[in-house]
Amino acid sequence: MSLVLSGLSKNFPGEGGSEAVAVLEDIRFRVEEGEFISIVGPSGCGKTTLLRIIAGLEEASDGKVLLDGKELPQGSKEVGMVFQEYALFPWRTTLGNIEFGLEVKGINKKKRRAGAMEYIRTFDLNGFERRYPAELSGGMKQRVAIARTLIMDPEVVLMDEPFGALDSQTRNLLQQFLLHIWQKRRDTILFVTHNVDEAVFLSDRIVILSKRPARIVRTFDVDLPRPRDRTGAECNQIRRDILRVLAEETGAGSGETIFSQDCFTIS
Amino acid sequence: MKRLALFLLFHLLLFTGFAYGGPVRIAYLQSDVHQLPCWVAIDKKLFDKEGAKVEIAGIFKAGPELMSGFGAGAIDVGYVGIAPATTAVANRTARIVVLAEVNAEGSSVVVKRDGKVRAIPDLVGKSVAVPGYATVQDFLFRRALSKYGVSPEQVNIIVLKPPEMLGALRTDQIDGFIAWEPYPAKAITTGVGRTIATSRDIWKDHPCCVLAVDEKFLENHPEEARAVVRAHVKAIDFIMKHHEEAVKIAVKYTGMDEASIRLAMTNVKYTPVLSVEGEKEYVEYLTKMKYIKVDDVPAFVARFMRPGFIRDTAK
Amino acid sequence: MKGERLLIPLLLLAIWQGLSLIHVIPSYKLPSPLDILLGLKDLAVVGMPPGYRLHNHILYSLYRVGYGYAAACLIAIPLGLLMGWSPKLLKMIRPIVEVVRPIPPLAWIPLAILWFGLGLRSAAFIIFLGVFFPVLLNTIAGVLSINPILIEAARTLQGRERHIFFKVLFPGAVPSIFVGMRIGIGIGWMTLVAAEFTGVKEGYGLGYMIMTARDIQRPDEIVAGMLVIGMIGLLIDIAIRAAESMSVRWR
Repeated sequence: MSLVLSGLSKNFPGEGGSEAVAVLEDIRFRVEEGEFISIVGPSGCGKTTLLRIIAGLEEASDGKVLLDGKELPQGSKEVGMVFQEYALFPWRTTLGNIEFGLEVKGINKKKRRAGAMEYIRTFDLNGFERRYPAELSGGMKQRVAIARTLIMDPEVVLMDEPFGALDSQTRNLLQQFLLHIWQKRRDTILFVTHNVDEAVFLSDRIVILSKRPARIVRTFDVDLPRPRDRTGAECNQIRRDILRVLAEETGAGSGETIFSQDCFTIS
Repeated sequence: MKRLALFLLFHLLLFTGFAYGGPVRIAYLQSDVHQLPCWVAIDKKLFDKEGAKVEIAGIFKAGPELMSGFGAGAIDVGYVGIAPATTAVANRTARIVVLAEVNAEGSSVVVKRDGKVRAIPDLVGKSVAVPGYATVQDFLFRRALSKYGVSPEQVNIIVLKPPEMLGALRTDQIDGFIAWEPYPAKAITTGVGRTIATSRDIWKDHPCCVLAVDEKFLENHPEEARAVVRAHVKAIDFIMKHHEEAVKIAVKYTGMDEASIRLAMTNVKYTPVLSVEGEKEYVEYLTKMKYIKVDDVPAFVARFMRPGFIRDTAK
Repeated sequence: MKGERLLIPLLLLAIWQGLSLIHVIPSYKLPSPLDILLGLKDLAVVGMPPGYRLHNHILYSLYRVGYGYAAACLIAIPLGLLMGWSPKLLKMIRPIVEVVRPIPPLAWIPLAILWFGLGLRSAAFIIFLGVFFPVLLNTIAGVLSINPILIEAARTLQGRERHIFFKVLFPGAVPSIFVGMRIGIGIGWMTLVAAEFTGVKEGYGLGYMIMTARDIQRPDEIVAGMLVIGMIGLLIDIAIRAAESMSVRWR
């Protein structure tokens, strides 16, 4: 299985007669099966747009998304997505949310329930099956959201800053949790984040995007074995390199100040 | 201080009806050709000639509503059906006295002209509209039924306002109706219906509309009350003697076509003479229907109407 | 304390009864509390008109309202969901709605009678008009208030249009739908009574009962009837709130 983005570009039409806004420019890279890839870049640079195009929620202005050489149809079942805001259905219980995709597929109740309970166990949600999202903590909600996506066994899992809304301790716990799950399942993950430390901790590869219109500036390979020591020398080195590239990106040109640093954080 | 006292006194007088020189407030029923004497008296200024200044305080769609007007103290003199008047007095929602009759008879049972119903017994299982509960027509209809041995439960009696009855009959929502003139006449002249029983057939000379006055008004302005009744008697006299002009006045006040009005007036007997026996029958009927509860019928009737009043008004 | 809450109403009732007893308030203008109670008894036992008893009037009125209400909800809710979802449909139908909505249901009575006759269906139609618009508009608002991200999440979970319609739009709009339904039944109940004033074929109905009490000059029964109407309206509202809170537990 391989996912190829070839020459993806996206323009949004200008408002009220002004020029069109170019958001993505000629994005091209390749994702192999089982890879954990992070996408890092300045705020507003189009990372989310990129994910949405791959997910089929938006159309590219140019270029293609190819899965195993074939174009992905809209609403393809090969791609799953986890949102920063969880996007859990508030009227459904934990079980109800996790089972949602299975219901859509038409799987019978017994099988659905068994499958969902599996995930409840693995995702450490025991006791909360019948709770509603309003009763869950942020960390739990995201676990439910991830379970809801993973239970569909998509070829590619997209994650749009999934831990962005959590406090840093919960965030670390969930990173470990995600790693743990991923190491067992080896899903192919495209992970968008502001948090460089997070990217370094989790990923096989890190793709750095430029300011708008986003191009790929650099790709870092992180060859370190897991679990990684966040404060270890190797991680620190990679982090420094990445931050330098980002600083160049945001410092360059248009007079954006160093405050662009709020778009990438170091935990 | 003095001014405040006068101000209060004036309004007190106004409130208790002693206000000087207020016109007599008259009310009648809309498009009810029974009440032609009222329109004649207004049109020919007969009230003025007898010395009573009048103003029209209300035109009502049905008797019970007019009685509510009495209850609210908004009417001094009303032309109204004897049945709603009796009901209101018996149930103590209005304090009035009946001083003269306005008409006798003047209603009919109407069915579809080309329908299957040819006589009262055919109405078993059918829908028939009456203008309201405790109306003269309601009583007449039940009386007609019992004459033919039909029990009211065998007929679906519903309440409709007479203007709606014509349309309902035409579109077969109902199989028949009973109403005061000119509605039966209108049904006939428009080719929609035909009469199967008139008032005369059901209860000859039955009292229908009466002239009622507010008790307090009678007490405080007896002269004006007499003037009104005198004018009323003259109006009825006029109708007898000047039929053509009376027809024109009826057309003017009902807005209906002349043909219907002429036909309607042949079914109505105008008379100022009250019928005590007739009223007794109404009281018994209303009591039997449980609309009112009157224990001493003669006493009630004596308080309710003053048959001798007309004699006393002769100048 | 519960006792304290009843104190003021009871006091007012006592004053009212007292003023009636000494004839400061004439009984035919406003019956005393005692008169009203006795009137209620008469409505239940003797009936108004005599022979037509209160419980039957209640049942018939409830039936008419239920009929019109059900019809209105069954059409307004799906239509509202569709209109909320499809901006094109919303744009097409909205002008018609905005013109018809302000017309008071009672103004339709003459047309209703011409189209549906004198019986149940014309009364139900009047109710329908009163209930339809609040339910429709609140349903549309409910759909429009759904966070778009939920629809996108459903798409990424392979939801097709019909899944989104039934599994996202409808449940998401339910709280607003209930708001509309509660407003609707309030309007429907009030409209019914007024609609019945113009007469009903079957001879039963609370509005009809009051109109007859007026004809037969029984103000005590008129007020007792009004109280019955108010109480039933209150009970219906409580029932809907209960249903609402049961189904919207997730809030």
